[in-house]
Amino acid sequence: MSGIRTRVESPLRSVGDKFLAWSAEVGGMVMLIGQILRRIAPWNLDGPETWRNLYKIGVKSFPIIVVTAVLTGAIMVIQAGTYIQEYGAYGLLGWGAGYSILREVGPILIGLMFSGRVGANNTAELGTMKVTDQIDALRALAIDPISYLVLPRFYAMIIMMFLLVVVGDATALVGGAITSEFLLGVDVNLFAWSIISYITLDDLFIGLYKALAFGVAIAVISCHFGLTVSGGAVGVGRAVNASVVGSAIAIFVIDFIFSSAAH
Amino acid sequence: MGTIEFRGIKKSFGPKHVLRGVDLDVQKGQVFFIIGQSGAGKSVMVKHLIGLLRPDEGRIYLDGVDITDLSEQEFYPIRKRCAMVFQNSTLFDSMSLLENVVLPIRKHLDVSMKQAQEMAHEKLRLVGMDAFADSYPADFGDGMRKKVAIARALTLDPEFVIFDEPTTGIDPISAAMVDKLIRHLSDNLGVTSIVISHDLRSIFGIADRIAMLYKGKLMLDGTQDDFRHSEDPIVQQFINGRPDGPMEI
Repeated sequence: MSGIRTRVESPLRSVGDKFLAWSAEVGGMVMLIGQILRRIAPWNLDGPETWRNLYKIGVKSFPIIVVTAVLTGAIMVIQAGTYIQEYGAYGLLGWGAGYSILREVGPILIGLMFSGRVGANNTAELGTMKVTDQIDALRALAIDPISYLVLPRFYAMIIMMFLLVVVGDATALVGGAITSEFLLGVDVNLFAWSIISYITLDDLFIGLYKALAFGVAIAVISCHFGLTVSGGAVGVGRAVNASVVGSAIAIFVIDFIFSSAAH
Repeated sequence: MGTIEFRGIKKSFGPKHVLRGVDLDVQKGQVFFIIGQSGAGKSVMVKHLIGLLRPDEGRIYLDGVDITDLSEQEFYPIRKRCAMVFQNSTLFDSMSLLENVVLPIRKHLDVSMKQAQEMAHEKLRLVGMDAFADSYPADFGDGMRKKVAIARALTLDPEFVIFDEPTTGIDPISAAMVDKLIRHLSDNLGVTSIVISHDLRSIFGIADRIAMLYKGKLMLDGTQDDFRHSEDPIVQQFINGRPDGPMEI
């Protein structure tokens, strides 16, 4: 009888345990946001640490983002090309590619790339600092880890996510224009005219709002999992995994909310 | 002034009782060693002094003022007065040795970057690491990193310094240099040093007072002679490094 009860209870207990663990993580992130907001004033930023993060996050991500964006633009044009050629609607190619790039594909793909490169790196760096007592060493030096470590990363990730999406949008459109010219024979001028005529500023701004929200989410999630690591190298690996998965989920949830609100 | 008092400190991590009610008094300018087996709670004990850990029970007094319940922010002035050298150095990997030592100076002292660097070079010279100021921690072994960690801890000219196993992993010459530095800080600058160590040569070379923790309790608190002449078999087993005896491993 007790064996049957155990088998019935254990899935419920497992679900309960998972729910509690998720609640603890979400609670931890809310508390981290509170700690960041209490110190949000720019004069709390550490200059050298902020510049280091802006460089590491922005400049070093630039090449991979440009490559991703150019290929994304090209793929969008190739996918749309079949129908464009079938119906002869060459004047809509720039609009089709631009609309999807600016509103959806650009921010999402760059966000996912950003979380994989920058978010994972950030979690690993903070996690390693945690397990090697470097965070406690900062506290022992009377230096607030949130102000010194988290705040510069928070600002740098938001600023750089925004700028990388701006750059990514532009290069994706250039990639799309070049592909349309050479693969589909659609003149670059017609492609540009289609974008200018049909794409509104709202299309651009919705993508940029998403970029800001993705930056906030990736910064909070990656810092939270980095600062709460335990269990040595294995714990750092688990935290990086959780950070990348958590950021990806957050990106799609945020995208859904923005897309629903915009329609 | 400058005294530290621990009263009835108890600390557990889950089911593991690390400290079971420890009383200690450290006087100003003393070189105070805390010894005991690995896992006896020595590091846990000293981390309470700067608020890195909070006791489950007991009180901590600094200069007669109860600091047990201070907030994280309220502990910052105490941490500027009381530096800590961690067991595993804890240098910041992304910074050069010089930047590591400059960091607390530029965060807490109102000096230019040039002055901060000059002060950092001076501290690095003190531990014989100035020639490597632009190198990174990953380029060095534990011993050399520990010397830089000592330099970093001394940047704000603290009144108290906690050394967690400062000579572990260091060659004998450098270990003697660290011992000499700790003695110099005490004798000439009035710095109070709390040293966690297993190094018998250091303990019986420079200690003013020694406290031994065993099974989460204070086993003996006394001078070098008190330890040498103690008839307690556990104390004798430990200070003579004998594998056989009453001490539970």
